[in-house]
Amino acid sequence: MRYPKEVVLKDCSEANIRQLEAADEEKLIQFYKDLPESDRWWMRYDVTDPAVIRKWIKRIDLGMVYSTVAVTEKRIVAHASLHMREFGCTQHVGRLRIMVLPDCRQIRLGTWMLLDLIHLAMEKGLDELRSDFVVGVEDGAIEAAYKLDFFKKALLTGYVQDKKGNRFDLMIMMKRLHRDLGDF
Amino acid sequence: MCNSSQQSLILSTPKGEIDIRSFCTAAEIQSFSFDNQFGTYAQYKSLYTKRETLEKNAGVKGTNVVVALADRRHIVGFGVLAYPDPEERWAQLGPNRMIEVRAIEVCRNWRAFRVGNAIAKMLLAYPEIETKIVYVVGYVWTWDLDGTGKTAQEYRTIIIKLFEHHGFQEFQTNDPNICLKPENVFMGRIGAQVSDNIKTDFKWIRFGIPPENPI
Repeated sequence: MRYPKEVVLKDCSEANIRQLEAADEEKLIQFYKDLPESDRWWMRYDVTDPAVIRKWIKRIDLGMVYSTVAVTEKRIVAHASLHMREFGCTQHVGRLRIMVLPDCRQIRLGTWMLLDLIHLAMEKGLDELRSDFVVGVEDGAIEAAYKLDFFKKALLTGYVQDKKGNRFDLMIMMKRLHRDLGDF
Repeated sequence: MCNSSQQSLILSTPKGEIDIRSFCTAAEIQSFSFDNQFGTYAQYKSLYTKRETLEKNAGVKGTNVVVALADRRHIVGFGVLAYPDPEERWAQLGPNRMIEVRAIEVCRNWRAFRVGNAIAKMLLAYPEIETKIVYVVGYVWTWDLDGTGKTAQEYRTIIIKLFEHHGFQEFQTNDPNICLKPENVFMGRIGAQVSDNIKTDFKWIRFGIPPENPI
């Protein structure tokens, strides 16, 4: 894949999408610091812990997690990753995760990051992609996923909760990566 | 009747020599036969199924129609390089700035002999090509996946490699037709003499923003 990928966003601002590099550690730490706590809550890891970020950076060359970032004026404004399994029953499925800073949402940056990961997944020969979304919190991302042919695979009702204990549904969305025209 | 820009090259293949000719005129094309493999299949339809379509293209000013001839008279491959229609977004860059590789196709029996590569080379042997941005759009629904036995991704990779060899690179665009499927691909070749201003305008129009100072 050819990086960086230059994109012009809905508000006419520009961003470059490229692979995460070892030199990005401090910028990525800052990115997650800038992310509102209400967003960080829904993640699986405490991304304010520099050790977590360091671990991600160290995994760059291991080949099973591909991370990309969107950069504007030397600042990371979005981070996306494709997670693959080396072994077993789900090695044909890639899992996606995309985080975008609040001031860069609703301008199609997340969509471009998603499209880039779809291309990456196609190149890796995956059959399907999975991404999980919290209904009522990540509705913009759900809409973008629908536009790129993701479909609702399952809805885990009341599966996740916010800090106050309010329950939310978790939607598992999948996308099939087409192999031949019979799929269309 | 020959065009002054016309060039030809001979390509040796395991099935015999192929004559690749650029800037063919409608009259020339009319004198050739058209392979019947350019047709309609269960899951694939050739870009052009009639020789008349090539003739019509050849009659448009500025269009380069390249044909690959077996036995010097039988069309087994073709390519078309043409300016975009005025209503297309790519025409917004100004007259004769952008030009499209509208078609490259080789009939099934003559594939895998680098005929497509030779056609691409002859398409780009175009006057003042370094002052232009050449683009190509690959739509997955036009690809002969059945005939090639390739997956959509493999076919996409072949297209990218074919055009990268000629100086093209993949670009992002929000063109609705291209965005319909992630398998689709948009590539461009920016000529060495294209100014920075035009390059910037090209970036804007890729995302649907008209140039500030259209020409």
